[in-house]
Parts: sequence; structure tokens; C-alpha cells
Amino acid sequence: MKSEAQTQEWTTQRERGALPVIKACVWVALRLGRRTARLFLYPVCLYFLLSSPAASAASRGYLARVLGRPAGQRDVFRHFLTFASCVLDRVFLLNEQRGWFDITVHNEALVQEIEAQGRGCMLFGAHFGSFEVARAVGRQREHLPISLLMYEENAQKIRAALAAINPNLATEVIGLGRLDSLIAVAERLQRGHFIGVLADRNVDGRDLVRYPFLGGEASFPKGPFRVAMLLQRPVVMMAGLYRGGRTYDVRFELLAEAPAARPADPEAWIDDVMRRYVTRLEAYCREAPFNWFNFYDFWA
Amino acid sequence: MSISNTTQTTEEAELARLIVETLNLEVTAESIDPETPIYGEGLGLDSIDMLEIALVVSQRYGVKLRADDENNVQIFQSLRSLNRFIQDHRGA
Repeated sequence: MKSEAQTQEWTTQRERGALPVIKACVWVALRLGRRTARLFLYPVCLYFLLSSPAASAASRGYLARVLGRPAGQRDVFRHFLTFASCVLDRVFLLNEQRGWFDITVHNEALVQEIEAQGRGCMLFGAHFGSFEVARAVGRQREHLPISLLMYEENAQKIRAALAAINPNLATEVIGLGRLDSLIAVAERLQRGHFIGVLADRNVDGRDLVRYPFLGGEASFPKGPFRVAMLLQRPVVMMAGLYRGGRTYDVRFELLAEAPAARPADPEAWIDDVMRRYVTRLEAYCREAPFNWFNFYDFWA
Repeated sequence: MSISNTTQTTEEAELARLIVETLNLEVTAESIDPETPIYGEGLGLDSIDMLEIALVVSQRYGVKLRADDENNVQIFQSLRSLNRFIQDHRGA
């Protein structure tokens, strides 16, 4: 399909430069500190603005939808800068340097309640804002084990990137490439882990459902929701909104209680939860538009 | 491949029905070659399907499939190998 090809194109695009860029950022950032490192983001974003017409066009398309007006170069630059800021901040968050940030956590009670039950949950985020900021909250305040479930190809890249940033963290990533990947997820849930999934993006084009999203229709993968249904776990939506400067807002919301038994109509349960996810994601986009980090035509 | 290799035993036929029913597959249970790979190529199932199979096998036969089992690739290789594993571990 068209969208699949474009997604792959985007994945390949990013693959080319990702690791050296990450390593350079880590080196610079940890030596100079966040304030100085941030200065480098401006030329980097300007470079991307000039050299990545496809990403710029995607950004402009998205921003026009969410802002309800045509988006200009200045908007696109701000969009890139927000993305670059979140990427840079991961370096500090992953190295336990939370002191750089002003993080407000909303509805932490939900997380504590689920933690007390000891059966874990599915923690659905998106390529939106900073997932890392929530993981940092989990690690430092709660010692909450959060594993990230992702497509194998991404898992390998992320593991490599994490290993470059902080070697202790690579094991928290579960790739979907093994036949028993999800059996591993079931076992981790049993030990009370939170299983993080970025549930907005599809890579393999399987099992997609289209939902109304920001004035158009976009495809979302059913897989993560099916897993929650099969393993009868609560579904929590997580978003780490970057508010500019040193400020992050971390939101937790209950999308669905754990089904007490296998739902009588599993497809209806999945559809219901997916709808809620998409609705919430749309609301987050409107609240913090520049936090959207899918730089390809999401509506293809 | 000789005929006897591609014929399901009674136990394999039961397991095939269970899998087809659970996953709502578009093939009939009888048409599944017991030696055909279940995962990926072959039946074309993915890791979510494997999870569903693991759950239903545990429920029906009381046999637990574990993620840390190094033999999973062999166990899930085909209907035949999965059935063999189940029969070996039933009531154990």
C-alpha cells in the first residue's frame, strides 16, 4: 500500500543518519550541559528544514490540519525544534539527570493503583511528545518497570541507541520479531511490568483500521489493542507533552479497565478502545500541536 | 513427502480445529498440512497469533508455553511439533 511504502521510506531515511547523530548529541550534551547543547539545535533544525523537503511537507500538512490555517516556514521550524528538543532531552532523562527539567505528573494515582494490583498494564503512547519523560518518572519515583514493545527493526535500532546513551537500559526493549515476543510480554505483565507501546504508527501494514483523525481519516494498528484484550489488562494512555523551555507535562489516563473475562464481542471491545485512543490523541494534538512526531503523510 | 506424513492424526486434527476456531482462520482445519510451518511463511501467522495459541493451549490442555524456552522455534514449527510438545507435557 501507499502508506506502507512511505512509512518504510521514512524509516530508511532516518536509519541512514540516526546513530552518528545520536552519538554526537550524547557527547556534546553530556559535556556541555543542556543549556549549551540546546544552542546546537537551531542550526541542526535549519539544516533539516532546508534539506528534508518531504519531512517539511508532512509537517506543513499536519500543522495546517491541527492549527486550522496554512502553516509557514516558521511553524515548520518550530515543529522540528520541538522534536529535536525532545530527542536531546532523552539523553539527560536516560542518564538520570532529571534536575534539568520541570516535570508535572498528572493522575499519578492511576499508576500507583495499577502498580499496587501487581498485574501490570498496557501503556499506550504515540510518536507524540516524550515517552521517555514518563519512563524517567517511573524509574526514579516508583522504580516502576516499564518495558517497551516495538517492531523488531526499530527495536534493534533503539537498543543500539540506548546502549550508546546508557548501557543499562537496552534490556527494557522487547522486539516483535520473535514468535514468542508476546508470550514474553504476558510473562512480564505477570510480574507487574507496564508494557509501553507507541500505538499510533504501523510499519508492516497488517491489521489496520481507519478512524477519523484531525479532519481526515488515518490508519491505526489493531495489534496493541488486541494484545490488551487477550491478556485482559487495563489500557492506560500516556503522553509526555513538551511545553517549551524546561517544562514537561506527563499525563496518564485510563482508556479501558481490564476486561474481567474475554469480552463476548472482542472486536467491539477493540474498536471501542481504539476509538477512545484516537479521540484522546486528537485532543493532545490540539492541546500541544508541535508535539506530533510523525513526519510523513499520516493520512495516506 | 509420503501420504502418511501429510495426514493429521486424531490429536493433530483436534489441535488444528482449536487453532482455526481460535484465530478465525479462513482455511479449514482438515486442510492444514501437519508439517507446514505455523509462524510466518506457511500459515502466515504472527506473534500475536502465537500468543493466542499459547493462551488457548494452556486453557485446553493445561500446558504452559514459556517465552524463555529455547526450543520455541522447534515447538511452533508445525502443527505436528506443537502437538508433540502438548502430548509430552499434558498432565505432567
